[in-house]
Amino acid sequence: MRIRFTGLKAWWVQRVSAIYMLLFVLFLLYSFGLHPVHAHPQWRGWVAQPGVSATFLIFFAALLAHMWVGLRDVLLDYARPAGLRRLLLVAVAAGLFGMAVWLLVILSRLQA
Amino acid sequence: MKLSISRYNPDRDKEPYLQDYEIELVPTDHMLLDVLLRVKAQDNTLSFRRSCREGVCGSDAMNINGRNGLACITRTSELREPVVIRPLPGFPIVRDLFVDMTQFFKQYYSITPYLVNSEPPPEKERLQSPAERDKLNGAYECILCACCSSQCPSYWWNPDKFVGPAGLIQAYRFIFDSRDRATQQRLDDLDNDPYRLFRCRTIMNCAEVCPKGLEPVHAIERIRLKIAGVTEHVGGLDVHPPISPK
Repeated sequence: MRIRFTGLKAWWVQRVSAIYMLLFVLFLLYSFGLHPVHAHPQWRGWVAQPGVSATFLIFFAALLAHMWVGLRDVLLDYARPAGLRRLLLVAVAAGLFGMAVWLLVILSRLQA
Repeated sequence: MKLSISRYNPDRDKEPYLQDYEIELVPTDHMLLDVLLRVKAQDNTLSFRRSCREGVCGSDAMNINGRNGLACITRTSELREPVVIRPLPGFPIVRDLFVDMTQFFKQYYSITPYLVNSEPPPEKERLQSPAERDKLNGAYECILCACCSSQCPSYWWNPDKFVGPAGLIQAYRFIFDSRDRATQQRLDDLDNDPYRLFRCRTIMNCAEVCPKGLEPVHAIERIRLKIAGVTEHVGGLDVHPPISPK
């Protein structure tokens, strides 16, 4: 199988996700500054709100996409030979996919 | 002046080594190339390229005290001793300071370094407005000395796939030329491959070492923005006073 990598699309993903993550961190600082969270149930309740949950979901989607582009770039640059590069790329993709599934499980449990 | 020059004879040496020289400076030794020519007069086995001796041809690009530059415009009075001179890093060494530039020029040719325009030529030249001409400033001055590509880590790792700063500033020069008619093909060529343009990590060594003070990294960013459809700008590329090896 030949994997096709993109140039511009990855470049966009990296930039847009970076901006979202920056805004998200500012949002977190603002929220915690305004309403400090002291206990786990309080934290759960806050994250379980649909709006906050969605914000977290998008943040982790952006984080995983950003990590994929960054790690992919490192491997495209340095990993030799091509066979090893492919293997490492598959390992990174599988790892990130696993994290995405885990995250969905956590966020969906909060909603239940 | 004390010099430590990288020597390598493929018939005799397994790997390059540094050889020390000491040269009594005379008042006419303004530039490093003047001193190198006197070393050569003393030891005619030393090989290096040079031609115009005034920073126009780009032949005597070499690594001087760790930084790429042209020997002919590097002032002897500003150099730290011993002056360690090595061939351009990342390029295969042919002999002493001579490097094989085949790969470098292959990348240069890959960007179609000439105007493509099949419209019937006018009676005189194809005209440009002053504003259109201004866009080429900061790019057309490139002399292809290879100082930038040879100091670019992204080019070190993938010289066969990444066009490199020198090739890409030339690509900019044709993409932004109002007389060229192959703009879209040029952009597609760079966009359809994750290596050719997008291996640039904005390390900026290219701008740092350019003996003309050009900024290939700026050209690369403008090409990316043009592919992304986020333009239009006015004027040419940024240019800064060149930083000589010390």
